[in-house]
Amino acid sequence: MNHPKAGILGFVGLLNGPQTMGRSRLFWGSFAVVVVLAYLAPTYLGIKPYKVNEFLVSGFLAASLSILWGYGGILSLGQAAFFGIGGYTFGVIGINLWDLTGNTHLALLGGILVPTIFAAIVGAIMFFARLKGVYIAILMLVLSLLFETFMLQTADPDVYSIGKAMLGGSNGLRPASDIPSAAFGWGDSVAEFNGRRVGFYYFVLTLLIAVYLGLRCLLNSSFGYLLVAIREDPDRTATFGYDVCLIQLAVFCIAAALAGLAGSLDTARINRVDPELVFGVSANIMVVIWVAVGGRKDLTAAILGAITLEWMFLWLTTSGNPEYAQIVMGGILILVMLIAPEGIFIFLGNRLGRLYARSTALVSRREDT
Amino acid sequence: MNLGTELFGFAFQYIDSVAFLILSAIGLSIIFGMMGVINMAHGELMMIGAYVTAYSIHNGVPVPIAILFAGVGAGIAGIIMERLIIRHFYKQLLSSLVVTWGISMVISQLFLVLFGPTMESLRTPFSSIKILIGGDIGFAILGPKSFAALADASGRLPSGVESFGVYRIIMFVIAVLLIAAIWALMRYTEFGGRARATMDNPKMANALGINTSHIYAYTFGLGSALAGIAGGMFALTASITPFFGAAYTAKAFITVVVGGSANFISGLVGSVLTLGGVQTLFTNIFSVYIGFVGMIAAAFLILLLMPTGISGFIERIKARTK
Repeated sequence: MNHPKAGILGFVGLLNGPQTMGRSRLFWGSFAVVVVLAYLAPTYLGIKPYKVNEFLVSGFLAASLSILWGYGGILSLGQAAFFGIGGYTFGVIGINLWDLTGNTHLALLGGILVPTIFAAIVGAIMFFARLKGVYIAILMLVLSLLFETFMLQTADPDVYSIGKAMLGGSNGLRPASDIPSAAFGWGDSVAEFNGRRVGFYYFVLTLLIAVYLGLRCLLNSSFGYLLVAIREDPDRTATFGYDVCLIQLAVFCIAAALAGLAGSLDTARINRVDPELVFGVSANIMVVIWVAVGGRKDLTAAILGAITLEWMFLWLTTSGNPEYAQIVMGGILILVMLIAPEGIFIFLGNRLGRLYARSTALVSRREDT
Repeated sequence: MNLGTELFGFAFQYIDSVAFLILSAIGLSIIFGMMGVINMAHGELMMIGAYVTAYSIHNGVPVPIAILFAGVGAGIAGIIMERLIIRHFYKQLLSSLVVTWGISMVISQLFLVLFGPTMESLRTPFSSIKILIGGDIGFAILGPKSFAALADASGRLPSGVESFGVYRIIMFVIAVLLIAAIWALMRYTEFGGRARATMDNPKMANALGINTSHIYAYTFGLGSALAGIAGGMFALTASITPFFGAAYTAKAFITVVVGGSANFISGLVGSVLTLGGVQTLFTNIFSVYIGFVGMIAAAFLILLLMPTGISGFIERIKARTK
């Protein structure tokens, strides 16, 4: 049952629940330490924001696939499609409205809403036709590749331009110099976050923590329980009177919104959207690798998976040959799927949790005697 | 150009696109139909076939034997993949998708590291023989000399005349023969009987003394070998790179998904005939890209009407009329 514990505010109570790993004091203690360290990292630990910012953005994308695949049981091999749509929307609106408004409120909103609407349409077709999970996974990948092919042939600025923005074919959205960074506020008090600077790091870190905590609440609410129920047995859930298709559509849209947010942030970060990088096969496979290796059935594990694997990937590509980096990534995926199919961080989390439980049990027994 | 020429041209393109779809999807659809696994490394098996073919031909092996080698090479690669990794994932369809995708990434990058970004491309067989239709000629099959005599200096043909390659027609014939062979294998041989029993009810088949684990391995190998043969045949028409297979896999996946898993032969034939038609029509009227879009739109539409794919639909009608 997910009634919040007595004496605690309802919202805070939902942070902990059986759907998310880490309920102990140990977890929240180390969570606090990690958050503090993350905020201090650029100033004291020599972490370079222009490198790490990318990892944080990946965290949103990993969270999106984790709730869709891990919790909802719907695998999409084309989650980067929403990432790309969000990125392009952010760029197009940003280029057109920057001179008018001087902020990116609408661009960010569009970057989240447009993928969500697209997901609602495609999802409605797929879920109400009751397509098999394998079909959905494949169709999403093909849709993403379709976007890639479309964007690659939009080099002609006379045909493919929206206002001041030109889709630009394989060069990506142009004029790239006009793609704004994330900026909030009005008139003279606009806070702009350059994607290579430390400001963007604090902004995205705060947003990621907020989204993470918000999603924990969502997953431990009755919606989260329903999601897991549908993952485990859709027919039985339907017998209980729930509209399975509608809930699947809802989680599909939420996941698309998150991926769109990630795409918008990524466009704002590098002031650039490149069709092959956002819609291509490797963009899509990387999301699946992060989430599968980290642990798809837990939000924390998926986000940690994205950040660590991105970090490792960057280290492999900069210290060696990028081709080897991809082989290593694929190899890690296969090995983890064979040895610890639930994912590395869930595996470690369970071990740690058992150890912690044993030690606290020991302590309480000593106190009893 | 008169109507007859146009119709013939359309028919030729239809046959061409059907041949490409059959060849690129047949291996995938056997594996999907028998085990429910969509093998994301299918494109890489085709790529292995292409490399084997290219390597053999560069070393003086005749073309048909080189393509057979491609089938053997990819088949062995497939059996190794199945025994080492894929057999652990039969009960988890989504996980098998993910793990085969990982395999595909490793194989293609490995080939990139080992053999470099491209391989010396091959000459299309019979490329000097052309089938000409239309204009004043009507219908003719010409060798290089008479072709050169007919065309002007820059190789252009008189107005109204269209030329088609012979190799495309051979590809179509082989595609049809392969389907017929697979059908006969499944229908009349002992292996086919065992395979169908395993597909129908693996536990019962196992209880009756069929080694289902071996059946799975052989079926996977067979599908992989077909992928290799397709790759070998495509290698003669396209440039060969480590990501060679990716160009065909998206369409192959769509074909297989539309076909469904109830009966892979009827599914494959039905979906190839429909999707090939849509693709040819839209490509003719608009562009290659719109042809691809039309194919995917058609796939969505078909799945909306028949969620279990074309073969599931056919099986249902059969069951009803019985």
